[in-house]
Amino acid sequence: MHESPVIILGGFHLDLSAILMLLVSMLIVFVVCRLAVANLSVENPSKMQNFMEWVVEFVQGIVGSSMSSKKGKPFISLGLTLILFIFVSNLLGLPLGVITEAHQQETIFGQVIEATRGLAGGEHAEILWWKSPTADVSVTAGLALVVFVLMNYLGLKNNRKHYLKHFVEPFAVFLPLNIIENLSKPIALALRLYANIFAGEVLISVILKLGFIGIPFMGIWQAFSIFVGGLQAYIFTILTMVYISQYAIHEEEAH
Amino acid sequence: MKILWENILITMIAFVILYWLLNKFAFSKLFAVMEQRRELVLGQLNEAKQTREQATVYVEEQKDALKQARQDAFEIIEQSKQSSSKQAHDLLEQAKLDALRMKNEAVRDIESERNKAVEALRTEIGTFSVNIASKLIEREVENNPAEQEKLVNQYLDEVGKKS
Repeated sequence: MHESPVIILGGFHLDLSAILMLLVSMLIVFVVCRLAVANLSVENPSKMQNFMEWVVEFVQGIVGSSMSSKKGKPFISLGLTLILFIFVSNLLGLPLGVITEAHQQETIFGQVIEATRGLAGGEHAEILWWKSPTADVSVTAGLALVVFVLMNYLGLKNNRKHYLKHFVEPFAVFLPLNIIENLSKPIALALRLYANIFAGEVLISVILKLGFIGIPFMGIWQAFSIFVGGLQAYIFTILTMVYISQYAIHEEEAH
Repeated sequence: MKILWENILITMIAFVILYWLLNKFAFSKLFAVMEQRRELVLGQLNEAKQTREQATVYVEEQKDALKQARQDAFEIIEQSKQSSSKQAHDLLEQAKLDALRMKNEAVRDIESERNKAVEALRTEIGTFSVNIASKLIEREVENNPAEQEKLVNQYLDEVGKKS
């Protein structure tokens, strides 16, 4: 089992690999988006602009499938950010992983890496530096928590009556069930994404142990992982939109 | 599987920052341009539709105009045909009338010439006859005074009957 390079700084446990990978994902997404909008043209769009417009229309389709496109307009940027960020994050761990092997206590930025604390002769720890950020359950939990906060906040703000009423439907007895349902949503989001990507990376490291025989399997699995990465990004985004529309948007014909 | 709440928090912050950055520096521009493009395409479509409609109307007008022109040409030809045939007919009629008139005149002239000639001839014949008669009578009367008397009476008688 690979360890994370966690250091304790001012009482906080900082997972350097998660921070690094989050930054890399953010950077890639931001640079791609900036390049796409660098030479915007109304009459003669570049290939990048066409690609970006295709992505936007794809997300518009996702948003439009769960709510009316007029009410869904503010969520298009959210959906775009989610799908791009998660997709890039899912792919980051595919081409390579960076693992260091430590045989004694290692420090970074003057801080002790927790996994190597107190390592003595013979023992060693494998520290995973480069991975998909979404292969870390804390990161996916963070993303799911954003969605959770957003959907409940929007529900309370825009649709208070129906949002609150929904908790005691069809009877008041169902209140605990409804609360569990509400809480289960971010947990399901986080675990689904994490499990898919983590399993993909585990299988990659298993195939690596096969040596040269594993090359065809690796090719197949990498291709499938790209597919899974896209699919999970899509699922996360569409579920976010469905949850938001369930809680925050009261369609007249729904009740 | 270790859950670090710091990681959760960092992810949330990172996501919010990314959302804000993208919204501010990329998406707003992109959305604006996409909207413009949508309007452009819509405008062009509308324009094309209008142009097509105009073209249809124009073609229809042209067709009508062509039809009208054909009709006019036909009418003009028909009219000219009619008028020319009428003219020819008139000319013919006129010619006939003229010919008839000229013939009549000629006939009348001939008639009157003949009458004149006959008259002249008659007068001349009368004169000759009188001359001959008077010569004969002179000879007779000179020879026979009784006969003379009788002839004078006969002439006087005839003259009285005639007048």
